[in-house]
Amino acid sequence: MGRNIKDEGEFSILSQQLLLSIAEELKMPLIQIARLSENNRANELKNEITNTVIQETASSALRLIDNYILGVRLTLEPQNFEIEAVSVSSVLYDAGQQLEAIAKNYGVELELNIAGKFGPVSANKQGLQAALVSLGAALIEALPALDNCQLKLHLATHRSRYGVVAGVYADTKQISAQALKTGRKLQLSSRQPLMNLTHSSGAGVFIADAILKAMDLSLMASRHHSLYGIGTVLNPNHQLQLIP
Amino acid sequence: MNNLLLVEPDYILGNEYKTGLERAGWNVIIAKSAQSAITAADKVYPDIVILEIQLIEHSGIEFLYEFRSYPEWQQIPVIIQTQVPPSEFFESWDLLKNELGVVSYLYKPHVNLKKLISTANSYIAIKM
Repeated sequence: MGRNIKDEGEFSILSQQLLLSIAEELKMPLIQIARLSENNRANELKNEITNTVIQETASSALRLIDNYILGVRLTLEPQNFEIEAVSVSSVLYDAGQQLEAIAKNYGVELELNIAGKFGPVSANKQGLQAALVSLGAALIEALPALDNCQLKLHLATHRSRYGVVAGVYADTKQISAQALKTGRKLQLSSRQPLMNLTHSSGAGVFIADAILKAMDLSLMASRHHSLYGIGTVLNPNHQLQLIP
Repeated sequence: MNNLLLVEPDYILGNEYKTGLERAGWNVIIAKSAQSAITAADKVYPDIVILEIQLIEHSGIEFLYEFRSYPEWQQIPVIIQTQVPPSEFFESWDLLKNELGVVSYLYKPHVNLKKLISTANSYIAIKM
């Protein structure tokens, strides 16, 4: 597992462009915390609610940094991250747990669609979960700013002819293969490469992209019933079927 | 009360700016996108606009061109409040100021609510 860093070229998680986009992304939670604190001082009644929002805003910024660091480590030290038999349902469930508080902050409802038996897949559990959380957080922040979009994010899995798909989905066509393709191209030159999808730098999406690449997986646009989303295709692991 | 159209895509920031500005006496209408901002301006004639230019699909600059194309909205002061740093505005500032009627530029990370409110108030006397 693990890709040769040289093969990653300028789109690597080690690239300056990704670092720039993370720096831009991190401005947002810091501005949010500053404004929340400012309002909090003026309105004592709101203190408890605001403190919770501040806490989760800080956590989401820290999670972004941690996911980036994990991507770097996966790229530089692939030998330390084993590919194992992983339950997609359990990874999505855990990702949902991590995203619950930030979703609440943004008024977005989370739904877990993991019904069905999918069997284990081959992946690094920590890496897969980090990629899904990173994607989920990016879409949670984007959904309220999209016109005509239901504020609901689905963490879902289904079987396709290529393997088991795990991803995040919403009812907006703005999440498309074209948006992703254009975003990857513009990542080198634009402060808002995923312009049709998010008002931010889209760092969460690109971190997920890099983490998945480091595991020899790829981030792609996907459909789940009538929903549009992004996720990855995982190979079923036939070596070990007995997992909790 | 004077109407303030706040074009802000971020859900949390939008709510916080709204809270602060309402406390200062403004009636705040939030729009998350360029399209919804035009619709909102059509419904509630704004006395002032505070605009983030980094929006989804259509940028704040596209919004400005559309907004200024309507005669009744040509004199409404527009304050840009954005996370795009001033260095990236250097070349387009004359255009924004002279052709699109932008009265002020505020860099979001450096501007607190107090400064935002005083800037908005400086262009319009609040009717309480």
